[in-house]
Amino acid sequence: MDFSLFFSQLMGGIGNGAVYASLALALVLIFRTTGILNFAQGEMALYSTYLFWYFTQRSVPVLLAILITMVISFIGGALIERVIIRPVEDKSPLVIVIVTIGLFLALNSIVQVQFGADIKTGLPRFYAATTWRPGNVQISADTLVLVAMLAIVCLLLYVLFQHTKVGLAMRAVSSNAESSRLSGIPVGNVLMLGWGLAAALGALAGVLIIPQLGLEASAMQSILFYSFAAAALGGFDSPVGAVVGGIIVGVAQALATQYVHFLDGITLIVPFGIILVVLMVRPQGLFGTKRVERV
Amino acid sequence: MNQPHRARRVLVFIAVLALVGAACGSSRKSGGGGSTTTVAGGGGGAAVSDADCPPGQGSVGVNGDTITIGTSLPQSGVYAAFTAILNGEKSYFDYINAQGGVEIPAGSGTKYKIKLVDKDDAYDAAKTVTNVNSLINDSKVFSLFNVVGTKNNLAIRDTVSTDCVPDLLIASGAVQWGNPKFPWLIGSELVPYPLEVQTFVNYLKQKKPDATIAVLAAADDFGQSYVDTLNELVKGSSMKVVQVQHYDPESTDPAAVKPQVTSLAATHADAFLLAATLLGCPNALNAMGDAGWKPIVYMSGTCVSKVLFTLAGNNANGVLSVTPLMDPANPANDSNAAMQLYKSSVKQYAPKADTTDGIVGYGWTTAALFVKILSLSPKVDRVAVMNAAHALPSVKDIGLQIPAATWTTGPNDNFIGETFQMITYSVSAGHSESVGDLIDDNGKTADLSPKSLLNS
Amino acid sequence: MISRRQAQIIGLVVAVIVLAVLLVLPHQTGTTSTLRWAQVLYIGIAAMGLNLLTGYNGQVSIGHGAFFGVGAYTTALLMHNEGWQFLPTLVVAAPVCFLVGVVVGFPALRVKGLYLALVTLGLAVLFPDLTKRFVHATGGTNLVSLTRAELAPPAWVPLWVSGEGRDDQWAYYVTLGAAIVLVIAAVIIVRSRFGRALIAVRDHEAAAETVGINVAQVKVLAFAVSALYAGIAGSCAVLVTHIANAEKVNTFQLSIEFLVAVVIGGTATVIGPLLGAWIVVFLQHYISDDLPNHVSSLGPLKRVLGEPAASPAIFGILLILFVYVLPDGVVGGARRLYARLTRSRRTRAPAVPPSPTPLTT
Repeated sequence: MDFSLFFSQLMGGIGNGAVYASLALALVLIFRTTGILNFAQGEMALYSTYLFWYFTQRSVPVLLAILITMVISFIGGALIERVIIRPVEDKSPLVIVIVTIGLFLALNSIVQVQFGADIKTGLPRFYAATTWRPGNVQISADTLVLVAMLAIVCLLLYVLFQHTKVGLAMRAVSSNAESSRLSGIPVGNVLMLGWGLAAALGALAGVLIIPQLGLEASAMQSILFYSFAAAALGGFDSPVGAVVGGIIVGVAQALATQYVHFLDGITLIVPFGIILVVLMVRPQGLFGTKRVERV
Repeated sequence: MNQPHRARRVLVFIAVLALVGAACGSSRKSGGGGSTTTVAGGGGGAAVSDADCPPGQGSVGVNGDTITIGTSLPQSGVYAAFTAILNGEKSYFDYINAQGGVEIPAGSGTKYKIKLVDKDDAYDAAKTVTNVNSLINDSKVFSLFNVVGTKNNLAIRDTVSTDCVPDLLIASGAVQWGNPKFPWLIGSELVPYPLEVQTFVNYLKQKKPDATIAVLAAADDFGQSYVDTLNELVKGSSMKVVQVQHYDPESTDPAAVKPQVTSLAATHADAFLLAATLLGCPNALNAMGDAGWKPIVYMSGTCVSKVLFTLAGNNANGVLSVTPLMDPANPANDSNAAMQLYKSSVKQYAPKADTTDGIVGYGWTTAALFVKILSLSPKVDRVAVMNAAHALPSVKDIGLQIPAATWTTGPNDNFIGETFQMITYSVSAGHSESVGDLIDDNGKTADLSPKSLLNS
Repeated sequence: MISRRQAQIIGLVVAVIVLAVLLVLPHQTGTTSTLRWAQVLYIGIAAMGLNLLTGYNGQVSIGHGAFFGVGAYTTALLMHNEGWQFLPTLVVAAPVCFLVGVVVGFPALRVKGLYLALVTLGLAVLFPDLTKRFVHATGGTNLVSLTRAELAPPAWVPLWVSGEGRDDQWAYYVTLGAAIVLVIAAVIIVRSRFGRALIAVRDHEAAAETVGINVAQVKVLAFAVSALYAGIAGSCAVLVTHIANAEKVNTFQLSIEFLVAVVIGGTATVIGPLLGAWIVVFLQHYISDDLPNHVSSLGPLKRVLGEPAASPAIFGILLILFVYVLPDGVVGGARRLYARLTRSRRTRAPAVPPSPTPLTT
């Protein structure tokens, strides 16, 4: 057994998984704070990345551009919640899904009309995109930076939810909005904050992963299913779950491609199968909180 | 109503259907319809006649001095980048119309203007069917032009054959267009995929006759053309295909190719055949670079574009491919008169287009080829024009065609883009450079084409 | 003020008129329009089936494009490779899709709400890959393209025209026939004990169990029946579009289209989704084909609206606005209007539950 090959595939899988996990984190954040599955999360991140590209094309320094993009995305996310989602928040979940689908279609199309449908090059990173090969095992800077970002964000989210008043308010609102309102928590503002944060997080994710993907209109759609799968696998209300889920999906794909040849071309079955099995055994995902049904 | 009654109702329903089905008679299998007089010969071109055509179909779409033609391509959704083709096409037709139109037949003095009706199918074959039906029945087009996508054209194959509508210059190098049962379809000047493989194999025979070859191929008929042809061509030589990996062509993210390329890299093969499209190419090249693998790389001609090369960074250096056209991104070509005409016309008629984009140059050249076919036809009639397309007499200087190249079709040769140039990409120069002499593979595609694709 | 009896008679008259119009439609319009109406009908069939699962039974699926594909491929391959006529293929396609629905329904018992929606999305994404691996049809691809000869109706079928146009009218009438049969079947299902069980399970699973409903059976059957509807819709689509095809983007888009039709039409009734399908198909047609002509005379900013790349945006925005105004769909809005006209307050159980459904976890 060629161990360096195994570890190369493992590292590659972790790298791919980190990409899925980045978008999954934004999905989880919105779900955690508002209880909504946001189909448009990827497209929101895409639009943010196009903004980032727009700024860097005009010679704004990379790190500054990232910061500006995140701030604009935060505001944009909050506005989307206030203007587009708020009117239907109390309607049936099916209606909310339809609204996020409408948002998904609209954003993807607006990106094409505003920026053009061609593939954009020259999307910069703030670090050098090297790949090291110690002992024939590939380790890329992209993966390391992404994993570091994921870890930091998870830590920050943990601190936010468990140790700050704002985080407590967010947990209260997502658990029971009515009671929260009665306790004096400004529910509307908390929801806007949740969407804003998720949008900013999505922007950061986009800025980090799209230089690897290539900036074009379908960039986020390829990974959409994998990100959803990662979030489902980890549990929809667990940021750590999103990261672990993403990594499991990425590694499973890579190892299946290397070692299971009869699945050539349909390796998608592997992560799909894993998720199905996990959810059947643990319906709330690996790290999700169990929903207790009171009779 | 309780369960047993409902179950019975369902059974009755199915039984009725079965009876109806039985009454309808047994299987009715008929061969492909349409008008054909085929000439025997593997994958050879065939002349068309109006024997089985609807009456009066010959001059549909010709109103006075205007010929209306139609195209369907992705202008929205995931593949919207193809819209750039329209910039090149429309520019050429505007240029020709500004000169009064195209003379049909050449030298007669009767000029016709071209009107192009374009529709969006978002790369969905079902929408292409709807669009083409509308183009034929409602817009009453004379012919179809440069319809994008292999499956999209396969889906309308039967319609254009039964309705006798030319499906000219399909935007795909697939071998399926050489199928002798469907002479109303012909591909464009894109280099047919089997010829690409042959070019690479011949190159290897010179540089490394005992090369081991690793292949990354799209998991569809496109990838299969390359793989099947390669397996055929290495038979009896000292070259060997050591591993083939497939990837999902619909996926644009690097994760779709990374594990496969890592696996291929572990074979340390001497050569790497990259049968991929769009972002699959730079993604695979980057994965190859990450693995520290430095083989002789051949990349599909469909990926030859400034943008895709740029996305691969240094990993694109030395990559081999082919092209039937001059590279608009290469400053050395700027002194060429045809290139100058192209750039000035596009700037005039489609100012927002990027003239250094190969897709725009391709649209321009394909429109020029269409106009050339019209001018070679004895009259403005669908059958005559289709036959003219099947009898191209070594035409040259069409749009951005390489100056010394000629394009020919004939009774046994249904492929146009068989004269082309092998190129290699230079990162330091920022454009591709020629490798060796012009390759003339006229008439050779049919024999190289995988029969399972050619005859299905 | 109208009495309930009068409202029912009006409803019946409207239904008869609509049916009559649909029956003579191909005689009055051209091929393009006929086929567009056929598309409305087969999307409506699939949406009706999805409504049984999602609206009446509360299990959200965004993967019904896969079941649609199973029906389409079964029919297309039997007609293309074995030379079958269309109707006999339904005899095979229907049970196959039903069985696939059963197979999918079982794991769905353990996976609920949001997670179920994602597992079904996985189906929609996996199905095209499976066809690419196992189907090598037209030109060696996973596309099955049928010839006119294969699609032609049997000679004894009476249609308005002979020769050219027969297969399009045949496609339309077959789809219309299937729609009528399936509407009646859906009404019967909904009014049966099974139908009431569907709603009971959706509203309160634990309570349903205590009154003796076999929850597992109900949920699996719901999946199976909805898969059957989607499969038959797929089979009809083969006649209408002349092809069977599967790409990730298309299967996903179909699944979304069904869901949108269900919500726009309204989940409260059986025929709501048909209305939704009509709106979805004609709205998309208007945006891509008619809107560019209408805005071309306006200023350059307005002309952007006519660009093909902008059509999904216009559709998406209109979709959002629509559900603001009519969150329970056209039927829901019509019902509220009806209630206001008849000024009666009945305690009929709403088909859309007032409290958040399992989707929130």
